[in-house]
Amino acid sequence: MTTPSAAVSLPIGADASAGAVPSEVAQNAVAFPDGIPGFESCRQFVLVASDEIAPLQRLHSIQGPSANFVGIDPRLVLPSYRCHLSDHDLRVLDAQPDTTLLWLAIVTVETDGTAVANLRAPIVINPERMLGRQVLPDEGLYPIRHVLSPGA
Amino acid sequence: MLVFTRRKHEAIRIGDRIEVRVLRVGRDGVRLGITAPPDVPVHREEIYEEIRQANRAAHAVPTDVTALAVRLRQP
Repeated sequence: MTTPSAAVSLPIGADASAGAVPSEVAQNAVAFPDGIPGFESCRQFVLVASDEIAPLQRLHSIQGPSANFVGIDPRLVLPSYRCHLSDHDLRVLDAQPDTTLLWLAIVTVETDGTAVANLRAPIVINPERMLGRQVLPDEGLYPIRHVLSPGA
Repeated sequence: MLVFTRRKHEAIRIGDRIEVRVLRVGRDGVRLGITAPPDVPVHREEIYEEIRQANRAAHAVPTDVTALAVRLRQP
């Protein structure tokens, strides 16, 4: 088991209101070699964090079709959150089992306003290599649809 | 599509690194054992499809991120 370490500071991301500054975008681009399910051709994303949207973060595709997501660190949702990374996951992320990684559960706001986080299949980013991937554990401990409540 | 008839304990090989073996044949399902190198992801089809649909829904819904963040920050 790889335990996501707590209190990761964000080495990437820019102010959400700053718009797309090309050099900054290029510098902050995270490569997703496999895209993500449903957006397989999106291979470059930027992660944006700001005080205004904390504890949320945005993940935008900057190449290929438009893909915009909102995410939250799953450990802010469930402090005991842990997720297994397979050898394949570590290889794609060019990470060692002890590499500090960024974790992001994709948030969906449903038609009735309920916000849910996908804790089952988190986005994992290796900030040292700027590589990312959505992890798909076959035996999921956590739901795809975890309802977020205030104070998360 | 290639179609094979296999009995219990019989297998097929895909390339020289992947083996799919029939472990059990039941009334409601077939239990398969997959042997594949670690760089070949193996998923039940419905898992990938579920995540794909969840991602599509997450992208499709326009979200007022700031309002949602404010809501989540409430104690």
